[in-house]
Amino acid sequence: MKLVRSELLKIRTTNTWWIFALIMLPLWALTLGINWLQTDALAAGNTEGVPPEQIDQVRALMDQDALAANLYTNGQLFGLLIVMLLGVVVVTSEFFHQTVTTTFLTAPHRTAVMAAKLVAAAALGLVFWLLFTLLNIPAGAAILGSVDVGPQLGSGAVWRAIALNGLAYLLWAILGVGLGVLIRSQIGATVTGILLYLGGTIGAITVLSLLANRFGEWINKLQLLVPSLASSLMVSGVEIPGNPPRWAGAAVLIGYAAVAGAIGVLTIRRRDIS
Amino acid sequence: MSDGQWSPSTGQIVVSGLTKEYKNVRAVDNLSFTVEPGRVTGFLGPNGAGKTTTLRMLLNLVTPTSGTATIGGRRYADLTDPLRHVGAVLEASSAHKGRTGINHLRVICAAAGLPKQRADEALALVGLTPAAKRKFKGYSLGMKQRLGIAAAMLGDPRVLILDEPANGLDPEGIRWMRGFLKGLAHEGRTILVSSHLLSEMQLLADDVVIIAAGQLVRQGPVEQVIGSMAQGQRVRVRTPNAEELTTALKAQSATVAVDEHGVLQVDGVDAPTVGRTALAAGVELHELTTERPDLERVFLELTAGKAGIR
Ligand SMILES: Nc1ncnc2c1ncn2[C@@H]1O[C@H](COP(=O)(O)OP(=O)(O)OP(=O)(O)O)[C@@H](O)[C@H]1O
Ligand SMILES: [Mg+2]
Repeated sequence: MKLVRSELLKIRTTNTWWIFALIMLPLWALTLGINWLQTDALAAGNTEGVPPEQIDQVRALMDQDALAANLYTNGQLFGLLIVMLLGVVVVTSEFFHQTVTTTFLTAPHRTAVMAAKLVAAAALGLVFWLLFTLLNIPAGAAILGSVDVGPQLGSGAVWRAIALNGLAYLLWAILGVGLGVLIRSQIGATVTGILLYLGGTIGAITVLSLLANRFGEWINKLQLLVPSLASSLMVSGVEIPGNPPRWAGAAVLIGYAAVAGAIGVLTIRRRDIS
Repeated sequence: MSDGQWSPSTGQIVVSGLTKEYKNVRAVDNLSFTVEPGRVTGFLGPNGAGKTTTLRMLLNLVTPTSGTATIGGRRYADLTDPLRHVGAVLEASSAHKGRTGINHLRVICAAAGLPKQRADEALALVGLTPAAKRKFKGYSLGMKQRLGIAAAMLGDPRVLILDEPANGLDPEGIRWMRGFLKGLAHEGRTILVSSHLLSEMQLLADDVVIIAAGQLVRQGPVEQVIGSMAQGQRVRVRTPNAEELTTALKAQSATVAVDEHGVLQVDGVDAPTVGRTALAAGVELHELTTERPDLERVFLELTAGKAGIR
């Protein structure tokens, strides 16, 4: 507990977190705008021009719960990226500023230190989620109102999507900590994180759809194994036909986070600090 | 592993058979020495001798290849609340650049379970109070070094370990630190401090541990280490009749060398003998002084030929 308090104090006594939050605001507004247009189009219920094999998926997305869930989890794409980078910085800044020596002198039990970092990063992830949810709810309700759909805040499915979104923020912060341990260099870990997140996502989609063309549709189910796709699946609000179930997305992410956390702890335990 | 080894009165450091092998170099090689409480111990060695590596192994930051290092009978990793027993100053630049000095200390207090006001007290102790709310990146080298000392003093430790703490301190700062460390040793604390500044060490240290190429070269009280040099004393003589005196001294089986200023450096006989010899030879003397070898000369002689950088 002492260590968690110390880690949170470390975060609070530097600028990083609110600079990241400031960067997020315009990105949040941008994605909100895109989601507005999408909601507008979907709510119109127009399925003209949609290829027949995708019609079921599009219908599912037109569901009012799905529309609401999408809006209330708006900003996830960049939010998760930022939260992961914060997790990275929680570790790499200790090496960058050489404070890791002091940290381990104060608490020689490195497992406990890393556990505290994981908890602090997860908490920070949840703070970001809360921030965005508080922005999303009024904005989302307003957009839903504009297309004559109620705010849907009485719907269990919508709240489940919001909660799962929180879980995604938490898990991505933990993934970031693991990445930070593996790549100690601040720049290196940040760049790798961004590339893996954005490039990896796009790359994986491309590769998987190429493979799917050759080997059949089932390959598309492997999308689930790509962390960022797994997390967007988690918050879809409704089951989308042809996509793996939502709980599977959560399970995959928890698995990645557990592996990243464990690798982080084991690596740092054995490392010489010199 | 037995508990209760730690008694409040002992802050003895024991290094035993300590070895660290890196890929290409044996940084520390079967090193053993002890450091006693109530004294300032200087830890000396050429660049790359393995001082920093030894101190880091003592503090559980680097894992030894073999051997042990204990403080008060326990490994650092086995201490409960280590900051209350041991303070360490390792690098000057070890704080987040964007964090203020006071916040840096508060973060440590929080992790160590120390009350927050210890941060203010420690800052006052090193005279940094005026810069408390300034960010670390705006600190001068000496201020950084003082902040490191403040961090080490947070838990009011019985044992203090410092790696080149004089780096970047101005003459006033160096004098301040000398008084500070001597005062702490006087209170019965154990002070282990590595340094290259041998003249400073001669003023500060009670004991020295000298290493070279990862191995122990000499350990003991400063006086004893200096006195143990075979060569012993040297006598400086200034005279207008250098040649005559040299001949007379050589007859006494002394060795005589002349330095660039024409001053005779006489080894092998003491000052009274030189004076008597001069009187007997009717030679006029303008200066006759005994030069005690200093720590620097002893150090250079002891570590000569042991490659520094490996
Ligand atoms: N992490 C490391 N990896 C490989 N070699 C290392 C590492 N750390 C130290 N060394 C080597 O170990 C030897 C001892 O280094 P160390 O830093 O302990 O010396 P030192 O006595 O503190 O020197 P200085 O007086 O210059 O500070 C050097 O040859 C150094 O190159
Ligand atoms: Mg060193």
